[in-house]
Amino acid sequence: MDRRQFLQMLGLVSGAAALSSCGSEKGQKELVSLLVPAEDGIIPGTETWQPSTCCECPAHCGLLTRIRENRPVKLEGNPGHPVNRGSLCLRGQASLWRLYHPQRLQTPLKRQADGRLQAISWAQAFTEISEALQHNRQQGRKNAWLAGRTSGTLGTLIEEFCDTLDIERLAEFEPFSHAALRQSYGLLFDQTDLPRYRVDQTDLLITIGADLLETFLSPVDYTNQASTLAADKKRHWTHLEPHYSLTGANADRRLVLTPGSEGALLLWLLQALVTQGRYRGRWPQALQNVLPTSDLAATASATGLQPEQLQELVTHFVQAKKPLLIVGGVATGHRNGQSVALLGALLQWLTALPWGGLDFSATENYSRVGSLLDLKELSQKLASDRVGVLFVSRCNPVRHSPTALSLNAALSKAHLKVGLTDLTDETTDQMDLILPLAHALETWGDTEPRQGVIGLLQPIASPQHQAHSEGDLLLKLLRQATGKSPAVDWETYLQNNWQKRFNRNQLSQLMKEGYLIEPGPKPSIRLNPSRATKALKNLQLRAPLALPAAVIAPSIRSFDGRSRSLELLSEIPDPLTTISYGNWVAVAPQTAHRLRMRDGGELQIKSADWQSTQPIRSQPGLAIEILTLPMDSLPTPAAGIDPLTGEALRYYEALQLNSTGKLHRLPILAGSPSQQGRGLIPKPIHRQKKHEQDNHGPRASFYPEPQYENYRWAMAIDLQRCVGCSACVASCYIENNVPVVGASDHLAGREMSWLRIEPFYDEQGRVDFLPMLCQHCNYAPCEAVCPVYAAYHNPEGLNVQVYNRCVGTRYCSNNCPYKVRRFNWWQHKSTPPLDQLRNPDLPLRTKGMMEKCTFCLQRIRIAKDRAKDEKRLVQDGEVTTACAQSCPTGAIVFGNLLDKESQIYHLTHSQRAYRVFAELGTEPGVHYLRPE
Amino acid sequence: MPKWLPPILLCAYFGGFLLLIALLAWFRPATHRENSQPIAFPHTVHADRLGLACNFCHESVTQGPQAGMPAVEKCVSCHQAIATERPEIQKLLSYQEKGKPIQWQRIHQVPDFIYFSHKRHVSSGLDCAACHGAIAEMKEVRRVRSLQMGWCLSCHRSRGASFDCATCHK
Repeated sequence: MDRRQFLQMLGLVSGAAALSSCGSEKGQKELVSLLVPAEDGIIPGTETWQPSTCCECPAHCGLLTRIRENRPVKLEGNPGHPVNRGSLCLRGQASLWRLYHPQRLQTPLKRQADGRLQAISWAQAFTEISEALQHNRQQGRKNAWLAGRTSGTLGTLIEEFCDTLDIERLAEFEPFSHAALRQSYGLLFDQTDLPRYRVDQTDLLITIGADLLETFLSPVDYTNQASTLAADKKRHWTHLEPHYSLTGANADRRLVLTPGSEGALLLWLLQALVTQGRYRGRWPQALQNVLPTSDLAATASATGLQPEQLQELVTHFVQAKKPLLIVGGVATGHRNGQSVALLGALLQWLTALPWGGLDFSATENYSRVGSLLDLKELSQKLASDRVGVLFVSRCNPVRHSPTALSLNAALSKAHLKVGLTDLTDETTDQMDLILPLAHALETWGDTEPRQGVIGLLQPIASPQHQAHSEGDLLLKLLRQATGKSPAVDWETYLQNNWQKRFNRNQLSQLMKEGYLIEPGPKPSIRLNPSRATKALKNLQLRAPLALPAAVIAPSIRSFDGRSRSLELLSEIPDPLTTISYGNWVAVAPQTAHRLRMRDGGELQIKSADWQSTQPIRSQPGLAIEILTLPMDSLPTPAAGIDPLTGEALRYYEALQLNSTGKLHRLPILAGSPSQQGRGLIPKPIHRQKKHEQDNHGPRASFYPEPQYENYRWAMAIDLQRCVGCSACVASCYIENNVPVVGASDHLAGREMSWLRIEPFYDEQGRVDFLPMLCQHCNYAPCEAVCPVYAAYHNPEGLNVQVYNRCVGTRYCSNNCPYKVRRFNWWQHKSTPPLDQLRNPDLPLRTKGMMEKCTFCLQRIRIAKDRAKDEKRLVQDGEVTTACAQSCPTGAIVFGNLLDKESQIYHLTHSQRAYRVFAELGTEPGVHYLRPE
Repeated sequence: MPKWLPPILLCAYFGGFLLLIALLAWFRPATHRENSQPIAFPHTVHADRLGLACNFCHESVTQGPQAGMPAVEKCVSCHQAIATERPEIQKLLSYQEKGKPIQWQRIHQVPDFIYFSHKRHVSSGLDCAACHGAIAEMKEVRRVRSLQMGWCLSCHRSRGASFDCATCHK
């Protein structure tokens, strides 16, 4: 190419570029009128709220759904709901992602001979199923229905469906079945369900393995109660576990015991209490004779606890007026699980039942849930060709059954396997027919997560695809198979059932509030002495697990793994390790040091019959011989079945650990596990030094003092109450349209979250969480350096970012000592229909813009608008940020600092209040309350 | 590359653009032409001659951020009997029959990143004409104000309204 040609080409290319970038952006939009006037009270451009129920986990918290332009855009807890009292966890927040999930199944799918899935019509699917049902019945095979935990009217319909078509309704499948606990309550008290534990009323809580804050029964409820307890200095909470969980991190005291030794500890506790004065009278003589003996020294050596610690535990127990002991979680997931559950229940009977610590009038509706033993039975039936059509609805038994069960091979023997689901998983990969289920926000329904608490489901979003609700699907199938059905559709069926069950007042309350409370009778719980005696006689206490051992730990982000497919939950880092995407195994820093490995180094973990390789993450405070394996890191998170209880085994023992020498890049979002002596969370040691800022002279500034007239918006975060559960982070993501950027951007340090939870560990491995967000400083370092006046201080104390002024110099981010500003490196686009999950009160930020926490400016605007209509100022409690609203522990309080009666004024003037980096003179608007 | 190719390419390329511009001029954007709305709705009749108040049709103008467009049902409630023989009314009735909403072309629009509330402006005593001009005298609605930030601020300044960026910038 010569010079002339080169210039010609250059002209061509630059001309084309210039021309293609021309064009007006003033594209006129269409203004669409409605066909009929909107319903009463709906004003275009404003929000409406509808009650509903969250179905992301079995706890079924009450919801209020914010609707804009006919679409749900945000979920909040229903303030009056007895389960969650207005809060919502991160999974509940993220369940909107399920509604708008790009991979949601749209039509019924049929597996072809070559294994591919092909879309078919509903009529085709129904015909195929009803023919297969009839054919297999004639051949003498049993058809079966397997579902996840079901409550409310849907359970009644399933029962009717199975009765009519002679289908066997199998025990429900839940990975966290709590089978050992239910078995022991059944044995000792003739109660087959789980009680509500009154954590709110106890003055001494001892939890063994039960992860109250993560997955235990009703996480939001227990998080709320447990954090209130931990914040109260007169009450005490001890948590015992082998590994390091978020629950352990937040207890007043976390004791590490050898896995499998919980039974020995409980036996010793029981014996010590029986021989102590207070409980002697309650303990029957017959039991006294069969109680196996144990002594302090043996217990100490079995559990790995110090004798003094054990003594202290008993002393506390005896002194407490209302002691409550809860066992569960990983403590019942090993070969001693049955004895742990039994001894735990006996201890509860002795100490907690007398004061009502176990509420069996509000049981958790787990009585229809089976265990892995039921799955084993199904597997055997399948293998011997006794099952014709198998329905699997809303559960994932393939992933959660141990390999020993060989469920996969057995499933291939079924003649027709029908999966009901919204997103594909390991189980639907084995199904012949997959039927798409509607989201809980798209259908009518009711739930009864706890005896006497009824939650409402109503169609808030219009169904996106051809999905059916499970109720409609069953009714249509019934009609196809028998020619008639009990109701025209699911809504009618529900209405009929509601009319029968509730009176008019109750029904209108259910519709208006979204929930209903029907107090049940209080059953009297008696110990069955003969069975208790027998159980104690047969008590098998085998040796604790051989170390090193790995604990398969449930996750606060995905529950049992069911929420893994929601990408938002992978974007929010695990609170303890701050890893966002990918798999890992947590090891003690000493172990990492011994193996000469650093974070991300690949570790080979090997036991006699199992092995896995995982990148490591050093976890301060973790016991040396213990590894924490998050459930999500394993393809099969169950190591085996406990033949006595049917619980999944959650441990691998006698491990060999070897470094493979490979290194993975882990997206670890925390800069450092330590505060590096900066006093971000001042401990007594920092306060002794007393910050030197007191010795500084008067403040000198180039800038005028900020003057506030009516409002100075501020926030207080009580670190004593914060448990690091990250509900606030998820809430912020959805409220503010914060983009989800994925693993590669996280590895490049380009995460976008406006609010992050920073865990800081001390030398003993104890952790404190510091939620970090824009501090809305009075003298904000970011404002002074912005060359285009995009970052400025508004007259209400907010540090505002004017997006369309921003030119992306990133000076502000460089100058921010709190590192809370986020830069849009790309134009973040979400895959449809996820783009519909968008709060229209905020603009979408484009490439090259800086963004950060706004103190939910849009919410303040709505509150001010309302106040202005009534010619008054915004009152305390009238406006709150998305993070504060969602917090299950009430750790975050937002309000107007100029209102001297407000809660925020009171909190910021408390003895415990401090500000991070106060010595820099930025005068943040976020005040923290230090833990004591 | 043959020697003649670049000039030919160049000519074809820029010629193409010229052709495009000519075509665009021919089919001028619908919004810039007379009677570009799906139905030629005369404000002169409704607002001027009949003297209907603005919020008779734009119902939420005093209640929320958006003034709101009247639902088809609202138009038909009068036009079931009035002037049904005229072609434009026939169009309206066909919308009702087909169950389709009317897709009006938007004339007044502020950018996506701006919060604007009709309610706040109307309740502060501002007349609709201050921003929309004499709509009652327009046969077809035109934009008479720039709706640019400087224009907004001139009024905010003179009326002593909020001067904080965050009042309008979302």
